[in-house]
Amino acid sequence: MKKGVSKKNKKGQVTIFIILAIMVVVMGILIYLYYPQIATTLGLAPQSPQSFIQSCIEEEIENHIEKLSLQGGSLHPSHYIMYDNQKVEYLCYTNEFYKTCVMQQPLLKEHIESEIEKEISDNAKDCFDSLEENYKRRGYTVNLRRGEINVELLPKRIITTFDYPLTLTKGGAEKYDSFRVVLNNNLYELVSITNSILNLEARYGDAETTIYMNYYHDLKVEKKKQSDGTTIYILTDRNNENKFQFASRSLAWPPGYGI
Amino acid sequence: MMNKKNFVLGIILFGILLINFTLVSAQVSYCCEKIKDGGPWCMNAPENECDDSYRSVPTSCEATSYCRLGTCIDTQEGTCMENTPQVTCNVEDGGFWEEGNADELPQCQLGCCLIGDQAAFVTQTRCKTLSSLYGLETNYRTDIQSEMQCIASASPGVKGACVFEREYQKTCKLLTKQECQEMEISSGYSNVKFHEGYLCSAVELATNCGPRGGTTCVEGKDEVYFLDTCGNLANVYDSNKINDATYWTYIAGVGGVTICNPASTTCGNCDYFSGTTCKEVLGKHVCEDLSCEYEGKDYQHGETWCAKAKGIKDNLPGSRYFRMVCYNGEVSVEPCADYRQEVCIQSEVNTFRTAACRVNMWQDCYAQDNAKDCTNEDKRDCKVIEGFSILTDENGVSLFLDEDGETADNSCVPLHNPGFDFWEEGGDAESLCSLGTTMCIIDYEAGIFKTLGGKRGKIVPNEECVDACKDRGGEKDDCEDECTAKCVDEDGNLLDSWEEEMNEMCVSLGDCGSSLNYIGKEGYYDTNDFIVMSSEEEDEEN
Repeated sequence: MKKGVSKKNKKGQVTIFIILAIMVVVMGILIYLYYPQIATTLGLAPQSPQSFIQSCIEEEIENHIEKLSLQGGSLHPSHYIMYDNQKVEYLCYTNEFYKTCVMQQPLLKEHIESEIEKEISDNAKDCFDSLEENYKRRGYTVNLRRGEINVELLPKRIITTFDYPLTLTKGGAEKYDSFRVVLNNNLYELVSITNSILNLEARYGDAETTIYMNYYHDLKVEKKKQSDGTTIYILTDRNNENKFQFASRSLAWPPGYGI
Repeated sequence: MMNKKNFVLGIILFGILLINFTLVSAQVSYCCEKIKDGGPWCMNAPENECDDSYRSVPTSCEATSYCRLGTCIDTQEGTCMENTPQVTCNVEDGGFWEEGNADELPQCQLGCCLIGDQAAFVTQTRCKTLSSLYGLETNYRTDIQSEMQCIASASPGVKGACVFEREYQKTCKLLTKQECQEMEISSGYSNVKFHEGYLCSAVELATNCGPRGGTTCVEGKDEVYFLDTCGNLANVYDSNKINDATYWTYIAGVGGVTICNPASTTCGNCDYFSGTTCKEVLGKHVCEDLSCEYEGKDYQHGETWCAKAKGIKDNLPGSRYFRMVCYNGEVSVEPCADYRQEVCIQSEVNTFRTAACRVNMWQDCYAQDNAKDCTNEDKRDCKVIEGFSILTDENGVSLFLDEDGETADNSCVPLHNPGFDFWEEGGDAESLCSLGTTMCIIDYEAGIFKTLGGKRGKIVPNEECVDACKDRGGEKDDCEDECTAKCVDEDGNLLDSWEEEMNEMCVSLGDCGSSLNYIGKEGYYDTNDFIVMSSEEEDEEN
């Protein structure tokens, strides 16, 4: 009885091994036939330098944009008010009562672009170092010239261009003049509305929020007046919850006469 | 009886502001190009606040070359920023500084920029920038001089069915005539033909696009649209016309096709300004209601109203006005300026409420010496209170004239009493509240009552007061009545009603007197703490 069981077990084991062997062979054939697609799906394929840079730095840029959007367009605000645990930069300010504000950042779009450019230079260095290393390891001769970084705020997108010409040589040569990282973001639109609000603050000391919400149906504009006469404006895109907030102190009224 | 006391206070009230400004200007004497520790640019401040690495001169910023205010023109973007000091308008960043307001500068003159089917009321440079950014041709019209007119003049090009052959199939795209022509050139499709006013689902076009391809919301539009089977937009969704062949043939406005009434529940003609917009809900595209519910009440989309904030009804210390805003189904809170320096005003037209925070014009109330000026709503937010006069002459006689031009013991006080920072040293709460300080002199005639009952005696009119009154031509009885203390009863006990009246007057000046704060907490003092009883006789004895 015991012998019989043992023979059956052996036969079963052989069958399992045969099935496993067939599966390994089939998988081998499949991998041989479809390796590029499978590798790409699993992220094993060698990335192109462009996508390598995009994936390396995209998140960093996004983080910087998110941070500066909550801080009035500056990554390291120097003249700010604390609101909701955030340093919110004054874009228009007066230290006096009864007076309209003085514009502090008239070229806001350019300021934001330069803030991002400055902040990502270290990240860019790391990413391109890593790109160089990666290709060298794979037997390429890498010739990378590090040039300028240019950030552009455009309608519905932010484009970061790295003027870093790259030549990869391994048998043939691959040339790249520059690398572009494109982010879908409507900071450009929010900055345009910010400028409009700032002009009203500078001229009249206040801005009506509903005007903007009537024009831009997906925009939420909030105005939070503080006790010291500061007004925090919060612009939110209802579609993607992108926010831009900034502070202004204009036509502030003192308690009493302000003696 | 009122004491002769507030004469100076009342008269010099205007002077308070003047003194304030003088003091401030005496202190703020330098124009600092930059304030220390990363502070703001171009502020008038004491010299010790200026950053040493930057310029500072002992004058107002308006008088300096570096901090004079003008307009910063962004030469790349074509935007103009007002009230900008020259120093912050960097040439390297594309800035160009000009003296004067934007209105005065030719580079900042606005016109109507028509881009595709959109319009923007912007400068010419900005129009060119937008044109290049969107890759569209623009038409800049300087003859249109209002934003509303500009937006109204934006018209989408006439659309129609652009029929073409692709991979041996006759198909279609809903385009403008120009777009169709461009597609013909760029794509290389054969037999391209434009049918103005037709939808791609029109049977007579015999394309592979048929009706009933579903519905969709379109970015930048409010309506729910039908789609044809090729994914092209058709007319606005109308459940009654799903099987209407004409509705699937012509664009609305052509061939007698009309769009349904937005009020109908079967219609996708949502309208943002009427409070609906297209939204995808559980895979369906519907007209979403944008109205709000707040504290059990319904508010229409776009309505604004004044909040019933704590303590605001009585303008209690710490209370503040708030404006509420309903947009896109969400209620947001907009605080008005603190210390009740702004008040919330509300109006209603056809059940639609609109509110705004506007400046509380209380500042010169105390100085008004007549009821007409006091209640002039165009100039100030004040009211007349009776029973006490802030403005008195050296004899303590009221200088306030009532509506009939008669002298009255009245005062002009803020309609919405302002808040003060009374807890801070150096604030002006004390000086403003002291306007309400009053003295009630009670004259006793010693006699039998005093001897028997231990009381001070009979209360009699103040002789000096009566004499002065008579000198002014007053009748004896009237003068005696006027000059008899009104703060006590016959037995010389302080009247609660007088105490309350005086406290009410104090409270009406601002955050003065004794009251609860906005959360119902008692203040530092009770009314009794403000009342100081003194006696000449006792003083003499002492």
